Amino acid sequence: MSTEILANGRTYIHRTSAHCETGVTSALFCDKGFDISEPMIFGIGSGIFFGHLPFVKWAGLPISTFRSLPGLVFKKAAKRLGAKVVRKHFRNPQKGMDELRRVIRTGQIVAVTTNVYWLSYFPRRYRFNFNGHNLIVLYETENGFRVSDPALREYTLDCSTHDMERARFARGPMEARGLMYYPLSVNPNPDMRKACITGMLDSCKQMLKIPIPLFGVKGIRYLAKKIIKWPDKLGNVEACRQLAHVVRFQEEMGTGGAGFRYMFAAFLQEASELFESSELNGLSNEMTAIGDIWREFAVVSARIIKQKGQAEETFAKAGGLMMICAGREEQLFKDLNNVVRKLKA
Amino acid sequence: MKVNEVPQDITFYEGARRACYALDDQGKYVIVPSCGWSAEDVVNGLAVAELATNLEKTRQEVLKGLKSPLVYHMERRQMTPEILAKTVGILSIRVRRHFRPDVFSNLKSSILERYAYALKLTFDELKSVPEK
Repeated sequence: MSTEILANGRTYIHRTSAHCETGVTSALFCDKGFDISEPMIFGIGSGIFFGHLPFVKWAGLPISTFRSLPGLVFKKAAKRLGAKVVRKHFRNPQKGMDELRRVIRTGQIVAVTTNVYWLSYFPRRYRFNFNGHNLIVLYETENGFRVSDPALREYTLDCSTHDMERARFARGPMEARGLMYYPLSVNPNPDMRKACITGMLDSCKQMLKIPIPLFGVKGIRYLAKKIIKWPDKLGNVEACRQLAHVVRFQEEMGTGGAGFRYMFAAFLQEASELFESSELNGLSNEMTAIGDIWREFAVVSARIIKQKGQAEETFAKAGGLMMICAGREEQLFKDLNNVVRKLKA
Repeated sequence: MKVNEVPQDITFYEGARRACYALDDQGKYVIVPSCGWSAEDVVNGLAVAELATNLEKTRQEVLKGLKSPLVYHMERRQMTPEILAKTVGILSIRVRRHFRPDVFSNLKSSILERYAYALKLTFDELKSVPEK
């Protein structure tokens, strides 16, 4: 944990978090004087999700996502907690940089969406062309900005002006177009219980009710079936590539472990204290157990990839583990739906 | 996952540690910093190696005179022709034409400058590929 003095003399406390968007949102709200944890933001913003998008490619391979669309968690959490927010895109990079400077000079910290490749402080192995990393700009320094990257570093760091402009205005799929966002005001005493209930019901809807078989629990089943068929259909090398891609989405993109499942379990635990409900605590334990299976899936996949498909671990086993996850998650969200409906706001 | 199960296998985050959610002895969720997991290393390594292999293949092709250095530098920046086209502001069909060595060697310096800026390279770097 480290602290920084902002342009108007206020103190900013840097905290580490697991995921960039939820961590940034939680930091923005804490800075406004409303103390809220990262899992709470994740739960209220209904971040948990699953989607397999065979038509949308990243690095030439289909995307499997374990969370809702980028930006949605911030929007939903802000709405449900009664915060007034500003979100701006820019066509002109110069205007975007000027506006950023103007706002941070007033002492307001600003979150920006960036392309990972152009951030030179990032570890070399993680610098992929991916337009969706969020970080907080604190104040201007001599040749750049002081930034706080809650998902990556345990302390604040410097970023040059050049890097910042490149990263914010990088072109390509899902381009950020210089997106910057910050809350204008946060309700100091929001109705937390109501916000949690809305968040949980929305999560259940996302996981169970979307009538397209690529999303939610159906999406997990769809992908699990595909994984089992991959070695016959694509050959071992290609199958390993695709499997590695799925695991990268699960673990690498700052998920707090097991593709956000542990973070959601942490949210359920916090909610169970808020509502004093033992049922929610039980669901939290179940979510942790499901998270452990996701981790096992990652371990099995890594072994398959290491042995190039020669040994006892098979794609059928990996797909089977995913199938178990799908079944248990379906039951969990059905239970959650029933439990939440009984709770009083 | 329990606190003592949080993987601390490798340290390739270059000094950084990543937050993981894990249960402590009382069964409460806490954030535990992790310095890396071997399973993650495998999948990340595969992707990194794939990029490196493709880049080396392109470099050889450039040296043989089959492709222009522009292709190499584009791949080094992990771009596709479409992304490069958007970044420089040239139609992607034209960008693809510049992948031909004969076309590339006759390009005006104003266009080369735009490519050099978009790829964050100097003028001389853009015209050649590293020898090793």
